[in-house]
Amino acid sequence: MEKKILTKYIDDPNQVNIDTYLSHGGYKALEKALKEMKPPEVIEEVKKSGVRGRGGAGFPAGVKWGFIPKDNPKPRYLVCNGDESEPGTCKDRVLMESDPHGVVEGMAISSYAIGSHLAFIYIRGEFAYPARMMEKAVEEAYEKGYLGKNILGTGYDLDMIVHTGGGAYICGEESSQLNSIEGERGMSRMRPPFPAVAGLYACPTIVNNVETLAAVPFIINNGGDWYASMGTEKSNGTKLFSLSGHVKNPGNYELELGTPLSVLINDLGGGMLDGHKLKAIIPGGSSTPMLLPDQIDVKLDYESLAEAGSMLGSGAVIVIDERTCMIWVAERLIHFYRHESCGKCTPCRDGTGWLEQLISRIERGEGKPGDIEKIESLCGNIMGRTVCPLGDAAVMPIESSIKLFRDEWEYHIQNKKCMVKSEFAFK
Amino acid sequence: MILNEKSVAEIKKKMVRYPRRKSAILPAITVAYRQVGHLNGELYREVSQIIEIPVIDIATAASFYTMFPKEPVGKYLIQVCHNISCALLGADSLIGYLEEKLGIKKGETTEDDMFTLISVECLGGCTAAPMMQINDEFYENLTREKVDKILEDLRNKA
Amino acid sequence: MSDDNNNINLTIDGQQVSVPRGTTVLEAARSIGIEIPTFCWHPKLKPAGACRICYVEIEKARTLMVSCATEVGPDMVVQTASEKVLQGRKAVLEFILMNHPLDCPTCDKGGECDLQNLTFKHGVDDSRFDFKKYRHIRDKNSTFDDLRIGPEIIRNQNRCILCYKCVRANKDIFGEQDLGAYQRGNITEINTPPGEQVDSLYSGNLVEICPVGALTNTDWRYKIRVWNTQTVDSVCSYCADGCNLTLWKNKQKVYRATSRRNDNIDEGWICDVGRYGYQVPMTEDRLTTPLIKKGDAQVPATWEEALGLISEKFKKIKDERGGVCIGGLISPNLDSLSLHTFSKFFRKILNSNNVDFRAGYKMLPEKSDDLYSKLTSLPFKIADIEKSDLIFVLDSDLTKEHPIVNLRVRKAITQKNASLFALNPIATQTGGLATDEMVYNIGALHALLNGLCVSLIDQNLTQYENASDLKNRLSPNTIEKASNISGIEVARINSLAKVIAEAKNISLIAGELLTSAINREELAGAIINLCLLAGIFDKGQVGVLSQAANSKGAEKLAVMPHLSERSILKLKQIWDNYPDNDGLALDQMIRSSIKEELDSMFIIGSNLMLEYPDGAVVKEGLEKLDFLVVADICETETTQLADVVLPLSTWVEYESSFVNLEGVEQKFNAAIKPIGFSLPAYQIINKISQGLKTPLFEMIDELIPEIKTLLQPDENQNSFETCAIEYIEEKQNPEFEIPLLVSNELHHFGYYTEKSNSLSSFCSEAFLEISPGLAEKLDVKEGSIVRVESEIGKINLPVKISEYIDNDVVRAYRNFSASPVNILQMRKRNVDRVKLTVVEGT
Repeated sequence: MEKKILTKYIDDPNQVNIDTYLSHGGYKALEKALKEMKPPEVIEEVKKSGVRGRGGAGFPAGVKWGFIPKDNPKPRYLVCNGDESEPGTCKDRVLMESDPHGVVEGMAISSYAIGSHLAFIYIRGEFAYPARMMEKAVEEAYEKGYLGKNILGTGYDLDMIVHTGGGAYICGEESSQLNSIEGERGMSRMRPPFPAVAGLYACPTIVNNVETLAAVPFIINNGGDWYASMGTEKSNGTKLFSLSGHVKNPGNYELELGTPLSVLINDLGGGMLDGHKLKAIIPGGSSTPMLLPDQIDVKLDYESLAEAGSMLGSGAVIVIDERTCMIWVAERLIHFYRHESCGKCTPCRDGTGWLEQLISRIERGEGKPGDIEKIESLCGNIMGRTVCPLGDAAVMPIESSIKLFRDEWEYHIQNKKCMVKSEFAFK
Repeated sequence: MILNEKSVAEIKKKMVRYPRRKSAILPAITVAYRQVGHLNGELYREVSQIIEIPVIDIATAASFYTMFPKEPVGKYLIQVCHNISCALLGADSLIGYLEEKLGIKKGETTEDDMFTLISVECLGGCTAAPMMQINDEFYENLTREKVDKILEDLRNKA
Repeated sequence: MSDDNNNINLTIDGQQVSVPRGTTVLEAARSIGIEIPTFCWHPKLKPAGACRICYVEIEKARTLMVSCATEVGPDMVVQTASEKVLQGRKAVLEFILMNHPLDCPTCDKGGECDLQNLTFKHGVDDSRFDFKKYRHIRDKNSTFDDLRIGPEIIRNQNRCILCYKCVRANKDIFGEQDLGAYQRGNITEINTPPGEQVDSLYSGNLVEICPVGALTNTDWRYKIRVWNTQTVDSVCSYCADGCNLTLWKNKQKVYRATSRRNDNIDEGWICDVGRYGYQVPMTEDRLTTPLIKKGDAQVPATWEEALGLISEKFKKIKDERGGVCIGGLISPNLDSLSLHTFSKFFRKILNSNNVDFRAGYKMLPEKSDDLYSKLTSLPFKIADIEKSDLIFVLDSDLTKEHPIVNLRVRKAITQKNASLFALNPIATQTGGLATDEMVYNIGALHALLNGLCVSLIDQNLTQYENASDLKNRLSPNTIEKASNISGIEVARINSLAKVIAEAKNISLIAGELLTSAINREELAGAIINLCLLAGIFDKGQVGVLSQAANSKGAEKLAVMPHLSERSILKLKQIWDNYPDNDGLALDQMIRSSIKEELDSMFIIGSNLMLEYPDGAVVKEGLEKLDFLVVADICETETTQLADVVLPLSTWVEYESSFVNLEGVEQKFNAAIKPIGFSLPAYQIINKISQGLKTPLFEMIDELIPEIKTLLQPDENQNSFETCAIEYIEEKQNPEFEIPLLVSNELHHFGYYTEKSNSLSSFCSEAFLEISPGLAEKLDVKEGSIVRVESEIGKINLPVKISEYIDNDVVRAYRNFSASPVNILQMRKRNVDRVKLTVVEGT
């Protein structure tokens, strides 16, 4: 069932206070890292743990840290990505608002590891409450000497800035996020150079997801091997899953990687809402390809989901039942990606707009023969051809929807109406 | 000056934390938005003077970020999430209910300038759908009953 | 294949190519003649990878790559025209065109539009997009797409393909803050900040680099189709930077000027004066026939009549009183052939050294200014500014004086990590990029430079062997004294000395305030001292930047009276003889005329009445002449006084050359035939000389070898010695206490520029710039009228409040005929001073 590591104390309302956090063994890992370990040893331990980027890309964190050029004399920065905006995802928010010191401690250890003396946490602007909790935690950590000059008498200095966004999904993409911190419009950057070489203010920068960094104190306390012992061979540790949609008990659940999807939906989630039949699952946030009901036993880890034709992504599992029109779903999603395209590169900027118009007209019952093929062709002209992954994110759910529910799409065009009309009343 | 002393002080406090002043743009316009409720050219000019960054950098950046209304809105800005997780649990009917209760259409403001109703993209409240944000606060797992109470409380507070 | 450290070998479309490491695939392909289409790429901008039209297929890469932003790698195998690439390109065009209005028949860009051309080449002829196109609408009441975003620029957002080139260039290259991208995604819009407009000196470049018809300029749009024009290679005739231009003409009309990229000079950017300056020759006010004064009126005459009269008069003066009783003044905006012909006419035919070109200078020296000449003849390359780690600017508002040198300085700072220090009497726009711009008390530069020299010696920062000797000779000068006089703190002077001493490569750039200063010889001496002490002659370059398009040519062609021995020797070599009399500089000519020692003047292209300091004196001087001949392109305050007025052709009407501030001679071609009966100056001079029975040439080409000889760079100039000249404070009249600076307005480099509608749309009247502090003290606001009064004259000017000005200085602008500021300036005063009285509008 659940394996509560990062979320062990999130139900304790006092966990946001540093004293409670300390009483639960907080900041021990930071002390251990600063006093007993050299930065390369910290990196080594994180490498050993195998913890991978929990924001969606799944890149091993320790390996990423190793990309910082050793001979670059410029300052280094750590950026903790709390821009959580992928539809379906709200797990970083829980960590930031319920256990903010865990995030601060993870950031502090990671900053030490990569040699940074200034760390940022970028929180989406709408998360005013989580941002307040993080601000408070940072203040408390300064007061208690876990941040600031000469931390715990070790000579290590670290400042931390809570930086809030302004309503732009694209700023969750790391290069856009760096532009946003610099005060620019949140447009994505060309790579190379990668942020580890030239990131924030053109200095070496590591951007990690909140959940990734929140795992670091546990890895330092218990060892990389301990962390790696959880999960599967290649997908180590635990992961938070945001379960939403047509289930009885939606919520955030921390699971060992490799736990079957059915455990999450049926055992933890209490099964389908009002006994309706499952129609589709979006397993890793709105940008990941959909799964069908017969794939419900797929294991929730990077490899198994890839094998099943989708991705672990951010771990946002959206459950869709039989009452739902898949074109209606596609319209919601493409509207989102069109709205969030930064406007820099042509295929994403214009392609998402065109796709939205096509899908909307099908949903309105005005679709024309050939529209499906046109959508497929446009998706092909966007996929892999944009500056940043937003283009891919926009087309993946559309492509998979057409692939898995082609009959329904064709029905919609031929009959000028939904196969099932999505009319969800709110209680 | 539209910005009050408290806002100016807050902007200055935030500004000095950054290695480069330009980074203070987003924090500064956030402070301005929190005080005024929306952003406009005059505020960009004031912010420009405080953080000593050309007004164009502030205006172009602000226009990129959709969280800040660029025109006056009601005292309470109701933003209902219409994205997938909330939609699956009745976001559209929630919007309909609010329209009915407030007597306005989405995108409009009540005559007494109390409420503006808009729908927005995913706010990160997916596991507690349907949900909405009013000014800074999230209201989740909404039911008709809850909505009635929230609106009533806000009216009373005002 | 092996790669050495600096070169990478790769294969593009089956061809092997070796290019330097760091080259992009796009550039590598172009280097072997393979064309890859682009929209957002520009050779001088950082790649953006935005438009995606430049896709290529690279072996082993999963996806198509954008060649503009992909660096070459060893043994890369690139396909630029594979099926996949062509498909990708087509797809991008399809996306770009979906909301494009396809209004080519009414779009001014038609015929030279990258989108149009690429659509023809790669696109499909029908569209799969079957929705109504998205329209950016300006406001609810307007269906027009056009929005004026600057005095000369019209924006049509619907045509914009969001390549962001305009925004990137405006910010990254020009450092301007008047254009940006607003909103995001597919509703992104290019616009100015609220209430502002695009009116920088570089604004026309934004139109030029727009790949579509989203930005067009009022100057050109709807006047002619590009395919009905022919192009002519030309060179800008305004400042001394020497930007290369292309003129676009049809029959007898020039329609526009665009840049003709020369990486040594302009890198493809030109300022708006250069861009719109072609409108001056096209003005309807051109003089088209000679005029002869009859009674009070000037009446049209034939060339025969006019030349007959001039020859007769000149011959009489020459025979009876000698050629030295005629004075000659020619504008440094004229071409080399004309300048040389003029000098030759005076020296060889009239046997007189009374030639000058320095109408804008105060108090010209009565002997050769050797130190200054030596300094100005040092080699200086605009492109080499990029090699410097320190740029040291003295007395120059670079943006206003040398817009393109300014861009190179910007580039060195923003892209090559150079640092800038500046010494100026007022804050400048360029100074905004400086580590320290020291705004000194006006008139104190000499003292400050002496202080800087002392600082180098005192801090032991010099390896110069005669340093202690110089220190002794400079002895009354101390750093403290320099600090007191200049108002610059001792610590700043000392740290500047340190920066100069430690720099590896210095570009020292001095500008107009120095070149036109009365004490330029003293300043030149102080600069030489500084260069010797800091070793600048060995580690960098010194540029005393000449002002006008051919000022450098005029110096080298010796169009002035008091020459160095070397110049005299050169002239003797090419002409056998050289007048043995002491010539008159312009200043002396005016005074000689007042004393009735000079009988006649021959002026070409120079509006002395508006340019020369001390307007009243010049008027008296010109009126006392027995016979005044003025050749110019339009009627001016000076032609009005002439006995004979001759119509002068402009640089678009004949072929010749200008010598830019680097000393590089650049040829320009004729775009049209001379307007009316006008003639190029060299022909006018020769015809007069013919009248004296001594033609200077049969074919103008005969003079080219002489010009070539004179323009050759001087060798062995590096024999500098220190020279200590003490700073002398200027006495002042306490009644007039506000120092007055006079300079060029941003869009008006010469009085002719008032004839350009486009340039006048940026600024059409003179004004007085004052500091916010002074405005408060006088209780005036923007636009209030003040009377500006000096000891010798007064004019009324509207006030403009400027943050660049410090409390105790005001600045006025020349070249506005309605407000001649030269009447305020005193010939013998280094620093002009005025008092201000509010006339209206407090």
